[in-house]
Amino acid sequence: MLLSLNALQQELPAIAETSLKDLCELIASLGFPIDGVEQGEHGPVLDVDITANRGDVMSHRGLARDLAAKLGLDLSPVELDPLEEGDALVSVRLEADACPLYSTAMLTLGALQSTPEEVKKFLASLGSSAKDLAAVDASNELLHRYGHPTHAFDADKLQGGIVVRYAKAGEKITTLDSVERNLTEKDLVIADDSGAIAMAGLMGGDSTKVDMDTRRVLLESAWFEPRVVRAMARRHGLHTDASHRFGRGADPSMARIARDLLAARLKNWAWAALDGAWTEGQEPAIGKPINLTKDLLQRIAGEPLSIEDAALLLNRLGCVVEENTSSLQAAPPTWRHDLTLPEDLVEEVLRLRGYDLIPSVLPPVGSDPEPLAAEYQQRHGIARRLASLGFYQTVTLGFVSPEADAEFADTSAEGRTLGNPLGYEFSVLRGSLLPSLQHAAEHNLRQGAREVRLFEIAPTFHSTSNGPEEHSTLSIVWAGETGGLDPMTSRGPVHPAALQGVLAALGAQGEVRTLEGGIQAVEVALTDIPASPERVIPTFKGFSRFPSVERDLSLVVPLDLPFAHLKTAIQAAVTGTPLQTLTCVDIYRGKGLPEGHQAWLLRLIFQGDRTLMGEEVDAWVASALESARSLKAELRG
Amino acid sequence: MTQPDANALSLLPTEMVEACDDFSSALSTCSTLDELNRLKGIYIGREGSFSSRLMDALKKAPKEQKRNLGAVVNGLKKTWEDAIKVRQSELETAKQHLDSAKNAWDATLPPPTPPTGALHPLNRLMDRLVDVFRPLGYHVEEGPEVETEEHNFDGLNIPEDHPARGTADTFYLAQHSELLLRTHTSPVQVRVLKRLAPELEKKGGIRFLAPGRVYRKDEIDPTHSPMFHQVEGMLVGKGIGMHHLKGTLAYAMKALFGPEADVRFRPSYFPFVEPGCEMDVHCPLCGGSGCRVCKGSGWVEILGAGLIHPNVLRIAGIDPEIWSGFAFGMGVERTAMMVSQTPDLRLFFENDQRFLQVMGGLD
Repeated sequence: MLLSLNALQQELPAIAETSLKDLCELIASLGFPIDGVEQGEHGPVLDVDITANRGDVMSHRGLARDLAAKLGLDLSPVELDPLEEGDALVSVRLEADACPLYSTAMLTLGALQSTPEEVKKFLASLGSSAKDLAAVDASNELLHRYGHPTHAFDADKLQGGIVVRYAKAGEKITTLDSVERNLTEKDLVIADDSGAIAMAGLMGGDSTKVDMDTRRVLLESAWFEPRVVRAMARRHGLHTDASHRFGRGADPSMARIARDLLAARLKNWAWAALDGAWTEGQEPAIGKPINLTKDLLQRIAGEPLSIEDAALLLNRLGCVVEENTSSLQAAPPTWRHDLTLPEDLVEEVLRLRGYDLIPSVLPPVGSDPEPLAAEYQQRHGIARRLASLGFYQTVTLGFVSPEADAEFADTSAEGRTLGNPLGYEFSVLRGSLLPSLQHAAEHNLRQGAREVRLFEIAPTFHSTSNGPEEHSTLSIVWAGETGGLDPMTSRGPVHPAALQGVLAALGAQGEVRTLEGGIQAVEVALTDIPASPERVIPTFKGFSRFPSVERDLSLVVPLDLPFAHLKTAIQAAVTGTPLQTLTCVDIYRGKGLPEGHQAWLLRLIFQGDRTLMGEEVDAWVASALESARSLKAELRG
Repeated sequence: MTQPDANALSLLPTEMVEACDDFSSALSTCSTLDELNRLKGIYIGREGSFSSRLMDALKKAPKEQKRNLGAVVNGLKKTWEDAIKVRQSELETAKQHLDSAKNAWDATLPPPTPPTGALHPLNRLMDRLVDVFRPLGYHVEEGPEVETEEHNFDGLNIPEDHPARGTADTFYLAQHSELLLRTHTSPVQVRVLKRLAPELEKKGGIRFLAPGRVYRKDEIDPTHSPMFHQVEGMLVGKGIGMHHLKGTLAYAMKALFGPEADVRFRPSYFPFVEPGCEMDVHCPLCGGSGCRVCKGSGWVEILGAGLIHPNVLRIAGIDPEIWSGFAFGMGVERTAMMVSQTPDLRLFFENDQRFLQVMGGLD
């Protein structure tokens, strides 16, 4: 919210001595940080961040009032010439509880009208240009200065009396911004015999608007239920200066005062003559008395503040306070809708004292500490492992396009689709992390990366009848070419087996997919990755200290024989022998082999709990070879 | 080389004398062990060499000459043997040098380096915060990203007509209109409070940190993302006040930014705390003297916090007359950007390896 320093000083003259920097610090210390200061025609303009609970601070007088309470100073008196109220010149009927109070006055304008230059500058500095219509400009000025929104109707355009009621189904209104709006039965309106002429607390209607030809004005200074105004503003997407203030709670005691101030301005700026002033309804009761005990005060404050000190500060805020030594009762002022709990009162006390004075103490230890959850630790262990294996952890958005999702997800996107996505390409809660990682890999390759190694650990979403289930998931992509960056490591495209090896290092298995552009990709559920053993150090397992015997077998095997088959067959053939390792250490597919064959160099390592004899190992290897032969694998000549 | 005296030399055949004269220069022209071996064969080999022929000559020599000649022959033989040995050792050393140079690795060449990877900077910052709070006995609680209005809003004392509940701010699911993407990590508070309410007296309190991903309907730009991260913290105990919140966060900021990090509390408003506050920390970049990041003020806003609103405890089934506590929440991206001076939020989600390599690390 923009505030003119000049106008602020008019409300609280004592701050004229305070430097701008100190004033900004002071305002921030009350809970309203300054987003910026600009030099306006009317002096410096402060952009003050007002919290959503403090409608009462949304004016120069409102902020000045908070500052005055903080500093223990007095505000300038409001120069007010209260209008004498009489009979209603136009009937006003309040049919809805949401408008308990409606103050009004009828004035006949003089032949000439002009808005004072000072006021024009004031409005301009707040980003609101004067219309050179006294009623409009004065209403606007009052809103910014005192925070109470008012409205002026062209009285000669009214048809019959005024009713404040909820709109009828199908009712329409064209508001001052020339937009025709369809009203609902939850919208509060000001109506005359012709129908709705204003949306209560939001904006007036076009049919009764004040213009250069207006001779008589009917002023409106009312109080509307904040909840109703907020809902209307949201429903119609119509957020105005008035709706911001009524929506956060206006001060009902300001209704008559604002009307009187508006009338006084019209007399001065437009030679207006009062035809009559009257009020319908009663001020709603704001702020029930709140009881605050010394215990609660001291518990929250963290130091032995006295009830007397608290009472003094609350009193400065406008609360009516009764106190004894152990508690106080404070009735909040009509402008403080936000004060409802004893905790609210303590906050006010601490706020006025300054949060800087709150002591700083570590809390007593009440509960036993708990270990980190196994699942959390597993995720972190895997992330650290992959990072140390050379992979970069990524963070990608949780939603993707339906097409990208369909390529990888295992459930239908129905049930995982957003009702109000940012756009089509962000509309499905992803069933797989791979579309996001593929995208990231492609980005890196496009940017000239030779090798891309990425992983992400995040939930994937899986449709069920009760809504999406979340599964913690790991995805890894490896793309581009490896090696070739030094004289010792040869270069080559990333092979899917390399990714399989990374997965094996995690103790996991998964199907490696080759995506477009040779991107190798794999995805596994975290539940499919073995957790690290519960014990810090696993149970001891013995190992042989006798020498091992290593034998290599060079076999010519049919191309369609999977290694796993051969391995199973050989293992079966040498059951009972101390075979420790059986692996393939070389593959030859070059010249000199029969058509449809390749050569494998198998390595068998035997190690037992005694020294092995050459002859017995020969016999085992012979059995191994025999079983290999049964699968048409022959010793290479 | 000692030359045999002329008298004795005269006893030798002419070719022998010439061989004697030639030996020195022949030896010095041997540049390889092979050449040296050939020379060795010629002069001191077992058969047919000059020395064996000298021995033969010595055997046949007249008796009176034998003594003199023997000395000469033995002298010559020893001279040749010694000189060849010396030369051989020289050549062997030279060969060894050459061989080792052939096999040597030039240490100034680039060695093969193990691949480098990194944890994401946002994860690193969240992990660091967990590390900071572990000594205070906080563990980690997590919750789902798809939440109910009950956990995301109702349980946090957020009014039914609060704008954050609208479809302009919060993502809702199409087929399950009661489900939404959590807009903060605070629903984890609600879940934990509800879960532990029945056994709170036995446990004696609650302390936890809730890091995680959250979603708000913001267009992607340099300072906004529809998905970002928060770290939420909560403590419930007896007699907890603002001083405890301040003490805890002051400790945490010193642990995070160093012992010089000072904090400042300002009043603020969040529906789920009362009193509420925002905390500034001495600008981690300039240390408080004023810079671009803190806009010259020396302070940067780092988190929102407050004492748990009695309604939040009540909704969870906890008596606010007995129990009290505090909660705080930090925007991870915001802090990461501030600390690292990263100019654009989108860099954290673009996952360019150059960024990840510089900004990441292994811890």
